[in-house]
Amino acid sequence: MATTTPTQAHGQGKDVHGHGGHDHDHAHVPGLQHHFNTPEQQKEAATLGMWAFLITELMLFGGIFMAYIVYRWGFPVHFVDAATHLNTPLATLNTVVLLVSSLTVALSVHAAENGKMRRVLLLFGATIMLGFGFLGIKGYEYAEKFAHCNGYSTPIAWATGTGQHAVDECLVPGRAFLYPESHGATHGGEPAPAAPTTAGAPTPYQLFFLLYFMATGLHAIHMVIGITVMSVIGWMTWRGKFSPAYFNPIEIGGLYWHLIDIVWVFLFPLFYLI
Amino acid sequence: MADTTHSASHGNSHGVAHGDAPHGHIGLRTYTFTFIGLLGLMFLTVGAWWVEKNVLAIPEWLGVTIAMAIASAKTFLIVYYFMHLKISSRLVQIFASLAFVFLAILFIIVMGDYFARGWPPQQGPLP
Amino acid sequence: MATTALPQGYLRDDAPGAIAWLKSWLLTVDHKRIAILYLLAINFFFLLGGLAATVIRIELATPQGDLMSSDIYNRAFTLHGIIMIFFFLIPSIPAVLGNFLVPLMIGAKDLAFPRLNLLSWYIYMIGGIFALVAAVFGGVDTGWTFYTPFSSTYSNSNVILTIAGAFVMGFSSILTGINFIVTIHTMRAPGLTWFRLPLFIWSNYATSLIQVLATPVLSITLLLVAVERIWGVGIFDPALGGDPVLFQHLFWFYSHPAVYIMILPGMGVISEIISTFSRKRVFGYEFIAFSSLAIAILGFLVWGHHMFVSSQSVYSGLVFSFISMLVAIPSAIKVFNWTATLYKGSISYRTPMLYALGFIGLFVIGGLTGIFLGIVAVNIHVTDTYFVVAHFHYVMVGGAIMAYLGGIHFWWPKMTGRMYNEVWGGISALIIFVGFNMTFFPQFVLGYMGMPRRYHVYPEEFQILHVLSTAGASILAIGFIIPIIYLMLSLRTGKIAGDNPWEATGLEWKTTSPPPTFNFDTTPIVNEEAYAYPPDAPERDAAAWKPGSPL
Repeated sequence: MATTTPTQAHGQGKDVHGHGGHDHDHAHVPGLQHHFNTPEQQKEAATLGMWAFLITELMLFGGIFMAYIVYRWGFPVHFVDAATHLNTPLATLNTVVLLVSSLTVALSVHAAENGKMRRVLLLFGATIMLGFGFLGIKGYEYAEKFAHCNGYSTPIAWATGTGQHAVDECLVPGRAFLYPESHGATHGGEPAPAAPTTAGAPTPYQLFFLLYFMATGLHAIHMVIGITVMSVIGWMTWRGKFSPAYFNPIEIGGLYWHLIDIVWVFLFPLFYLI
Repeated sequence: MADTTHSASHGNSHGVAHGDAPHGHIGLRTYTFTFIGLLGLMFLTVGAWWVEKNVLAIPEWLGVTIAMAIASAKTFLIVYYFMHLKISSRLVQIFASLAFVFLAILFIIVMGDYFARGWPPQQGPLP
Repeated sequence: MATTALPQGYLRDDAPGAIAWLKSWLLTVDHKRIAILYLLAINFFFLLGGLAATVIRIELATPQGDLMSSDIYNRAFTLHGIIMIFFFLIPSIPAVLGNFLVPLMIGAKDLAFPRLNLLSWYIYMIGGIFALVAAVFGGVDTGWTFYTPFSSTYSNSNVILTIAGAFVMGFSSILTGINFIVTIHTMRAPGLTWFRLPLFIWSNYATSLIQVLATPVLSITLLLVAVERIWGVGIFDPALGGDPVLFQHLFWFYSHPAVYIMILPGMGVISEIISTFSRKRVFGYEFIAFSSLAIAILGFLVWGHHMFVSSQSVYSGLVFSFISMLVAIPSAIKVFNWTATLYKGSISYRTPMLYALGFIGLFVIGGLTGIFLGIVAVNIHVTDTYFVVAHFHYVMVGGAIMAYLGGIHFWWPKMTGRMYNEVWGGISALIIFVGFNMTFFPQFVLGYMGMPRRYHVYPEEFQILHVLSTAGASILAIGFIIPIIYLMLSLRTGKIAGDNPWEATGLEWKTTSPPPTFNFDTTPIVNEEAYAYPPDAPERDAAAWKPGSPL
């Protein structure tokens, strides 16, 4: 077999294509890697590969959701009470931001299908901006919690050194964790148990905030990765790498972005709306 | 796994038959409606939460069920239209559902154990 | 084609200098070269894990703790467990043989994502370096299971580094799994339908599914342990308000299916070898193929049998016990079908076949004792004794490593183009078989008599069996060293193998040995089922036999 030359391979008949023949055939197919035979095959491989990766991402978050389910079931009263300390209006705003970004991504794939690469770039820019917006709002939420730990009411007050926080509380898990007095939320007529007044005492409240920071933090990390991916693909678009015949990276990058959205769709009601 | 046609459609012959390869198309109208639907569902879930907190005390299990049903509906919209599952091959559709199936296995078995054990877990197994 | 000179194939070295040569290996995207990189790295870790095992067995030769303190002993067996499981058994067959063979067997030019494949090797190496650094700077004493709250709160060892190693290595495993799934789905040669695929492909496919679905859960669990350990806030330590059994649920959700990551590809290798050296189509092809998938799926439903004494509810225990029994069905289907394949076959006892036959026997013992352990009552009696140790070594060493070595021998001519020394091959296979049984069979007895695992001292009356076990381990070690020597020698002096030294079927034997960079000069077209040996092959072989021809 080692001596089989491309010429001989061609001689074997129409149904067998020599390797050399393949290279020749594919010279004009943009973006087709040598080990694939057809663009359809390559696209199916890319899509399937991305979905398989998204499965792993969902399973990754699944571990945190599992812990959440167990402790929500174990400490329902604590969780309902603790959730009142999260900033639901900001989270709602963030949900809108994410949904819009999902739309821009979906539209960019549509534009790429039709070869409107300028529009793809614009939509990618919008997506990345929305991603940063999401991270900014998220960061503000985190900063608020840290500001409370340091005795200030808002991050801005913390930065300028004015505006003491009225309540002595710290909702960042750790040695300084201090849950303020209950808001009077009840669970089936049963008031939330009083929180210990010593800082750092392990309570179900701390479990809630730990899960909150882990889940949203991991989600934010995925957002950072998503922004990076979108920037790289946007750069590739700008360099003119894609055409209506080949835009797999745009499509699978979009899949990744939508996954970030899906995770948030579950995080939002589970943490903010209980 | 009985997708023998699938292998043929990705075979090495050049005049590749389309088979179950992606051939559909999702238009701008669909994207717009999907987006509007998503926004609507989001306001619905926030509204349900507000009502639950301020107007009408419903049992917690009902509230959670409503919230999760809405989240599932949103996920379905995103996956089916935005992520093109509607026009993807059957194989991709199966893979997309795999994660949810195995997460369900994890949740159901572990929670089955917790229900049988009672809470707090430190008490140990039920008699 | 009668070959007189070795075709260079993918091993051809046309790099102009040492740096270029190094780059041609370290930056390669050729799945075959990556498989060789894995082979070197994985065997290094195997020897390291073996070294730890040696230290353990030497310590256990006497009832007193005269070589090590209990603390050092804990670190030694943890090192053995972590290296062997995360860095040898899980990647061994998929990453080495699978990487080399999956594209060849399905007639593709490469895996679907060649660069991802290279990346997964680098990730594996980074994970390995984390684990090695942790070992060098004092090791870790939690056992490979990292049970909380010991690992997260009380242990004074390098838990974080080791966890980081396992965490990072998990991504390598995931990427390999994704690559195989996509490759097997989208890149099969024309005419190669699912039921014409070699069974090695089926089992690797099932393995990849487990890798993709289970590994992320371990990643997040280890991440939570690390958070708990670093910041002292956590969800597993009861002192922090958490539930340690939750950790065990999440951990075993990965780690029980991981057992099948280790054994399933081995079963694929055995199917190939048995069929080739019986000169018969595998009996019950469809049953073996689907039993792989059945094992993969059932494997996700039985993790609780590791937790019978963990304060898991007794009702869960009973359900888990029952479902665990079900795993025996697909496993037994495989064993019966292999045995039926041997029946009336033209069996030749070449080295790979010796390993395969050894596999069947040892796997049966390992599997049946697994059924004992799946029964709650027996399990509680022998929990954490040497009975358990012997059971999983029968499956992991007697199963996975026998299959790994058998596969290496079987495809060695394809990987290197040269034959190894058949006589030494047979001898070392027998030495390994004897040494293995001598090491681990006494441990069944020890465990049944009540010797707990993970202790470095023990009562006098256990000494005879422990000495026997240590002596067996020495024989086993010799058995592992001999192949290294003659396989290395074969690279220089081995006979040129030719394309198909075993007269086997399968696309990988249709190309040259070693294969060219893009595997096939012409894209192969498949128009027959796998293992299409002529029905009268055994009779013809028997008629053609004369004294002196190979068995």
